[in-house]
Amino acid sequence: MIFKCKNCGGNSVYSPEKKRMYCPFCESENSEERQYEHARMQICPNCGGEVSYTEHTSALQCPYCENYIIFDERIEGAYAPGRIILFKLSKENVKELIRDKFRKCTFAPTDFLSEARLNTITGEYIPFWIYNYDARCRFQGEGVKRRTWVTGNTEYTETSYYHVVRDMNIDFQGIPADASVKMPDEIMDLLEPYNYGEMIPFRPEYMSGFLGEKYNMAAEIIENRAHAKMESSAATILQQSIKGYSSLKPAYRNIAAPSPDTEFALLPVWVYRYIYKEKEYPFYVNGQTGKIIGSTPVSKAKVWAYGATLWACLTIALVLIAVIIM
Amino acid sequence: MENDFKREARKQYWLFFRFWFIGIGILAVTATVMAMAQNTTRFVRERQNMQAPSERVYDYANVLTDAEEDKLRELIAEKEALIGCDLVLVTMEQPVEGVEAKETYGYRFADWESNMQDIADDFYDNHFFGYDAPYGDGALLLDNWYEGQEGTHLSTCGKVFDKFGDREIDRALTCVDDYIDSDPYSAYSASILYITEVMSGEKTGLGSVFLLLILIVPIAAAGTFTGTHLRSKEGKITTTATTYIEGGRPVMNVQRDDFVRKHVSQRKIQTSSSSSGGGGGRGGAHVSSGGHSHGGGSHRR
Ligand SMILES: [Zn+2]
Ligand SMILES: [Zn+2]
Repeated sequence: MIFKCKNCGGNSVYSPEKKRMYCPFCESENSEERQYEHARMQICPNCGGEVSYTEHTSALQCPYCENYIIFDERIEGAYAPGRIILFKLSKENVKELIRDKFRKCTFAPTDFLSEARLNTITGEYIPFWIYNYDARCRFQGEGVKRRTWVTGNTEYTETSYYHVVRDMNIDFQGIPADASVKMPDEIMDLLEPYNYGEMIPFRPEYMSGFLGEKYNMAAEIIENRAHAKMESSAATILQQSIKGYSSLKPAYRNIAAPSPDTEFALLPVWVYRYIYKEKEYPFYVNGQTGKIIGSTPVSKAKVWAYGATLWACLTIALVLIAVIIM
Repeated sequence: MENDFKREARKQYWLFFRFWFIGIGILAVTATVMAMAQNTTRFVRERQNMQAPSERVYDYANVLTDAEEDKLRELIAEKEALIGCDLVLVTMEQPVEGVEAKETYGYRFADWESNMQDIADDFYDNHFFGYDAPYGDGALLLDNWYEGQEGTHLSTCGKVFDKFGDREIDRALTCVDDYIDSDPYSAYSASILYITEVMSGEKTGLGSVFLLLILIVPIAAAGTFTGTHLRSKEGKITTTATTYIEGGRPVMNVQRDDFVRKHVSQRKIQTSSSSSGGGGGRGGAHVSSGGHSHGGGSHRR
């Protein structure tokens, strides 16, 4: 489907700034209407141009007429997202964020922040499975406290032994794991956290203006990633709840959770694929919080030159200071 | 295009290091000015005090040969000019301890150490010693050879007083102890050389520390800089253990820390005595009977 402006026939898109549907051509707001529902996927229903998509694509932009096309069958039925976090940052916001962050980046290539390059940023709704665990942590063991003091020239050490028991329930809500093969897992983890307070029920028009995917794999297949996050959090919390001992000898330790509740959600990510010397340097920006993940390509020669200069400067400065104070 | 990038890179380089370059420039100018200023002050350090006698070696106990006395005078003359301090040696053979000695010689005290200190300080003050002025920069080594009351006292004054802490005083006296039984001349000259070394030692002492600093700090800083910039990081983790926990905390069903038993063990500790004075200068500070500030200390043999 394509969201068309009732007034001018242009492509209506969701505007993060206005927080509503918007036609960039006639500046009408909330003037959208669905057209070309359940159209064939290979052909742009608007201009007839051939579009290329993958087995997971749910929304794309026609390269010819630049309309955003949403594939109905990939946001319906089993693929219907439960909820969505909308883009809060517009493209202009994100360009500004990237500029701010990397302006002082001496070793980035000069065109890294150029307008033309930054305009290639795309907003993408990434499919995520989010998992809720009702975890239970149990611990039993022996804790040892040591206290030493000195009287005269004798040092006393008092060793006390404690029976330590912990039993707690931890209600984990919304541990995310991206269900997109093309998105690197460790990068998606770094984009966390999203503020789930702003997660709302999904509606197709929210995707207009952005790219998107259906989930690439079922919730059970990537559940191990969420489970690992849950377990390490639970272990940390358990550890934090046992304080004040010099040493701890566990006798029993168990972290368990029944199968989690799962929900399919779309989370917003701005992607800047910067290409330098034929290598791609992708940047990801949390479309809600603005957290930027990614590193600029670095000119090694430049870094070494700066390092050497810094060394020389410091040495000369210290020698001069030595001369002055002696 | 290529040239544009190069020009831009050069501009960035100058911008990046501009404060460094300016700082180094300022330091260089300061160093030059100071070096020139020191050239004029350091070598024209003439003796200012004309009231003191020229004699420095008073061998009342007659433990040195004439030749040794002359050698000491020569040594002292050379070192005095170098460090700008009067260096005086006095040997004596006279009781300084007990009520009888106190009455006979009119001492203020009856104990060995106080009297040695008085004698040394008074000798220094009464002869108006001091390189810069009477009662000024210098040190006096008093060595008593009276049987049963042998020992050495070092009296410091002026900048020697400022520089010598308990540790330095102790070492200067140890120099005497080390040789005095076999060779008094070596004992006194070793002590004088040690005092000279400490007084001119600002350079060598600081120098080694600074050399190390100069070698290590720039390497470490440049290494860290290069390292962090070559291995650029993608981003920081911004989730914590409690990010996805409803309410931010677990529900604690059981939390028990039950005391079971305890035992106490004990251990004798070897105490190492002798508190270290540490060289901060002004060791053994006091005011002499003449009202002048002196420092010092004694070693009794
Ligand atoms: Zn319109
Ligand atoms: Zn088209």
